[in-house]
Amino acid sequence: MTDIDYKAKGSILNPLKNLQFLGRRPVTQPLEPRPASANYRGFHLNDWEKCIGCSTCQKVCDNAAITMVRIPDIKEDPVNGIRNLRPAIDYGRCCWCGLCVDICPTGSLSLSREYVHTCTQDEIDSYFVLPDSSGMHGTYGHGWRKTADADLVDLSRHPMAHLEPPQRSDNFDEIMLGFTRQEAILEASRCVQCGMCHDACPTHMDAPEYIRAIWQDDPEEAVRQIYRTNPFPEVCGRVCTHRCETACSIGRRGEPVAIRWLKRYAMDAVAPERVKEIAAESKSDYMTGKRIAIIGAGPAGLTAAFDLIKQGHQVDVYEGLSEAGGMTRWGIPEYRLPAAALARDVDVITSLGVRIHYNRWIGRDIDMATLQLEYDAVLLAIGLGLGRSTRIPGSDHPQVRKAVELLREISQGSVFAVPRSAVVIGGGNVAMDIARSLARLQKREYGTVRITACALEDRAHFLADEIEIIEAIEEGIEVLDARGPQRCEQHADGRLLGLKTWKVDSIFDEQQRFAPRYDNSDERFHEGEMIIEAIGQMSDVSVLGPELTELLEWNRGRLKVDAAGRTNLPWLWAAGDCVNGPDVVHAVADGHRVAASIDAYLNIREDVA
Amino acid sequence: MRPENYQAINHPPSHEYELNFGPNHPGIEGNYALKVKLQGDQVVEAHADGGYLHRGFEKLMEGRLWIQNIALVPRICVPDPVPMEMAYSLAVEELGGLEVPIRAQWIRVMQLELSRIAAHLFTFGGHAATTGMYTTMYWGVADRDLFLDLFEELTGGRVYHIYNIPGGVRRDIPDGYLDRVTSTLDYLESRLPDYDNLFFTNQVFVKRATGTGTMTQQQALEWGVTGPNLRATGLKLDVRRDDPYLVYDEIDFDIATEEAGDAWARTLVRRKELQQSIRIVRQVIERLPSIGGPIRCPIPNPLAWNVPAGEAYARIDSSKGEVAYYVVSTGGDKPYRVHVRGPSSMHAVQVLENLVTGGRLEDVAQIMFSLDACPPEVDR
Amino acid sequence: MTEHHEGHQSGYQRLQAQKSLKEILEIATEFERIAHDFYTALVPKVSKQIRYLVEELAAEEQEHFDLFQKLANNPDLEKQVGTLIDTPANDHGFSDCIHLPDLGDHPDDQAVLQYALYREHAAMEQYSALADSTEPGPVQELFRYLAQEETKHKNELEKAYYETVHRGGV
Repeated sequence: MTDIDYKAKGSILNPLKNLQFLGRRPVTQPLEPRPASANYRGFHLNDWEKCIGCSTCQKVCDNAAITMVRIPDIKEDPVNGIRNLRPAIDYGRCCWCGLCVDICPTGSLSLSREYVHTCTQDEIDSYFVLPDSSGMHGTYGHGWRKTADADLVDLSRHPMAHLEPPQRSDNFDEIMLGFTRQEAILEASRCVQCGMCHDACPTHMDAPEYIRAIWQDDPEEAVRQIYRTNPFPEVCGRVCTHRCETACSIGRRGEPVAIRWLKRYAMDAVAPERVKEIAAESKSDYMTGKRIAIIGAGPAGLTAAFDLIKQGHQVDVYEGLSEAGGMTRWGIPEYRLPAAALARDVDVITSLGVRIHYNRWIGRDIDMATLQLEYDAVLLAIGLGLGRSTRIPGSDHPQVRKAVELLREISQGSVFAVPRSAVVIGGGNVAMDIARSLARLQKREYGTVRITACALEDRAHFLADEIEIIEAIEEGIEVLDARGPQRCEQHADGRLLGLKTWKVDSIFDEQQRFAPRYDNSDERFHEGEMIIEAIGQMSDVSVLGPELTELLEWNRGRLKVDAAGRTNLPWLWAAGDCVNGPDVVHAVADGHRVAASIDAYLNIREDVA
Repeated sequence: MRPENYQAINHPPSHEYELNFGPNHPGIEGNYALKVKLQGDQVVEAHADGGYLHRGFEKLMEGRLWIQNIALVPRICVPDPVPMEMAYSLAVEELGGLEVPIRAQWIRVMQLELSRIAAHLFTFGGHAATTGMYTTMYWGVADRDLFLDLFEELTGGRVYHIYNIPGGVRRDIPDGYLDRVTSTLDYLESRLPDYDNLFFTNQVFVKRATGTGTMTQQQALEWGVTGPNLRATGLKLDVRRDDPYLVYDEIDFDIATEEAGDAWARTLVRRKELQQSIRIVRQVIERLPSIGGPIRCPIPNPLAWNVPAGEAYARIDSSKGEVAYYVVSTGGDKPYRVHVRGPSSMHAVQVLENLVTGGRLEDVAQIMFSLDACPPEVDR
Repeated sequence: MTEHHEGHQSGYQRLQAQKSLKEILEIATEFERIAHDFYTALVPKVSKQIRYLVEELAAEEQEHFDLFQKLANNPDLEKQVGTLIDTPANDHGFSDCIHLPDLGDHPDDQAVLQYALYREHAAMEQYSALADSTEPGPVQELFRYLAQEETKHKNELEKAYYETVHRGGV
């Protein structure tokens, strides 16, 4: 350390030292605008193409400087998680901390290198700025922007324990084992509460609320939030098509929050008896005396039943088979959705007083005319129980089966000769379900898997979920893309030999419509003692009988209903897959919609009477 | 009151009068008031009043998410904001069990010392101005600007850096940054003889500061004095050495002290600390390139961050003295209570009142600045 | 419908015998009219929910009928016929193995589509064969044009078939 000789009084000539400063350069700062440092936190820039209006910037802003402004010119797209909101900044409040940039899920926000004052005019409102990609003053571009090591968004999902292929390939045990409490809290903490999931969900589940409740370690509150919009949480917590996750803003750059698994966690964490109490909390304490018949105890029918019983109506559900759940019971294999989980959902619904009459087939055991007479309203929720056939030559062979029917037999535990080799036609989730179910049976019976799944679509346009395809391949199934079925070959003795396919050159035409084009020079043969067609499904509308069919109005092969799900007949509603096509959560949404319409109709009738 | 009812108040005959010293005056950084009772130019009583600047920080923090507070804390000490960010972050890190990566710890040390240099340059200028020497102030502020340039480049902000976050720092150092730090340090070193000539050995300063605002080591300890002000009474007490945080235990530096305990000694300690800070930053520049790894440990989503319940006390030696944060969490997403122990809450109240009393009016401003207090730390 | 099926077979000879463009078009137009009448008669016979399909097929045949008729009445036909052929439509072959030459008594939507596909395919092949067996010139070009029209029609039907039968398999 240099010592400072402060005691020295100094020379009398000391003041002359000043003269050296005559030769030094003065410190002068120019007044012209200059770019600030490359990392400067200046005014906001927002790339409107990337911005989805999730409002996370607004939530993290410590000074409440951000207001989300609706831009009518931007198209709302809830399915893909895009809102027409864009952040506007009040520079009277902003402190330029840049947390909005670091937390922005999309990476659309950054700050500029502008080293100037906020106001460019005298008006006070120039403090309120709606930033776009050119910035407030349009000079000097990006300064502070998101970097990978400073991102405040947790992009990776917490993995869930699951059975590995050797543990699962010969049994129907559920593959996904569920979150532990700690895992669920961690996963729930990734949510930024933007509500894109809510907007995208067909039944508009209050996902931000139940995720928040899980994060706060309050699963009962989560269940309460879940039951506000969905009486099939055990089902949807496992096999929902999770549009919420497609729309999730975290998914813009990373893995979306595991919303579906969190819902399942909430149900795992609360005892079934307590779930029943929570579900019954908003039940009406009087009966209206109105009676409603529902045909089909699938998700749509039972959701409507759940709503209507809570509104105080009497509900009778007629189910043709021996158990409730519809496609979720018979069409989805147990390794994806255990029957016990579905039964818990159904149990909650019946505990409220919904009566389900099993093995009662409309048109056989009871007819529509009787229902019309005995009930105030009738709901048709018959689903899509019939499989389509390709009708290629040879497809009338008894060993050529339809996937939905075979899946039903497997679920019912029917005994049939498990084929040593099989070919599945189709590339959707149903095709994967039947292929993987058969693979398990083969593994159990013969120790090896010999299944080929042929999809028309190429891999990029597969209809099945990616995870289904990955797991199917893990389980030893050969998944072929772009193969068009041509003929089911059979031996002279009548044995089925297998399937002949042609290569599919392209699947889309110029207008992006499906228009498969075959290349018949690339022909392959796939060996199979059994061929399973897993293409489209259709509704068994024969239950309606010819007279009712004639009375009803139709829309391109499906029942024509209004926005509330009502047919052209005042006493008849229709809901679920038979109206909208196959999707569980859509069916739930439909059940709510129809129940609201029926309830409104019954109330009006009461007023008139 | 109608004039006919007006009755003049008759004070008892006295030589005493009251003077409002502040809230705007050159004796302290920011708005601060000192009500002094004078007899002639002799101060007989002084009463400090800090409520003229930002206030209510501690209460505000209870209503904000853990991460939002990082934008609030630097405002508690404008001239030396880094220790505020750091102490808050250290306390939250202790509560949350966050391991700050080594690289971030070295970057933090560099910031702390650069911030100390900038703060001292500011103080010298102010102190000189209270003795009528304005050139030092111009120089000090101009040279401090070069350090603000460094902060701008590193943190994106010149004054409110908002750069430290529980878990580490927010951005890595830019390319070539350490070279620019080195050249700025070289420049400052070359300027030190100029400062010595102009101010520290200037007889105007030496004579006016010597013996002004003197406290003994015993008094200093009783009054809760810390930092350079305490070290100016001859006590080698420095949190950096005695209770090391970050990587200070790996760094070689001397603790500057003086014995006199007066305004001059306090200023001289700061002057010596400049050199020590330069020495510390140079060690960081040498070590940092060889330390890889992340700049922040993983932290939860800031919008859903429950810091485990508990209490933590983190202290740091700032240019003003010992900055400490006492943070209590009940396991929620916001602090239950944050207490800011700003060194100025002692220096600018009981110490100042005591030192001024018995002194002369013309020394009040100098004593205030020699204590280098920061008003928002008082009424926080 | 069996007679219709034969109608196409005998239509081949009838068309082959014609040398006048106008006469060829008139026969083609007549085929479209027969088809239209066939579908129109089918409408009440199928279940109500798939009537839309048969009605659409009838409407499309009507469109072809109108198009050919207008063309036949065009005095500049001879000159124009060469320009009618744009990019010859490619046959995708998607539906070739599921043709249904006989509708049966209670056809469903799939069967109706299969039958329609069969018809368009037969027409397409017939016109192509006629073009191949004709000397280059306006007549051949007209046959090419007619084949192209039927191929386009078949491609459209294949899209409808895919959407009706193959989708929803998710």
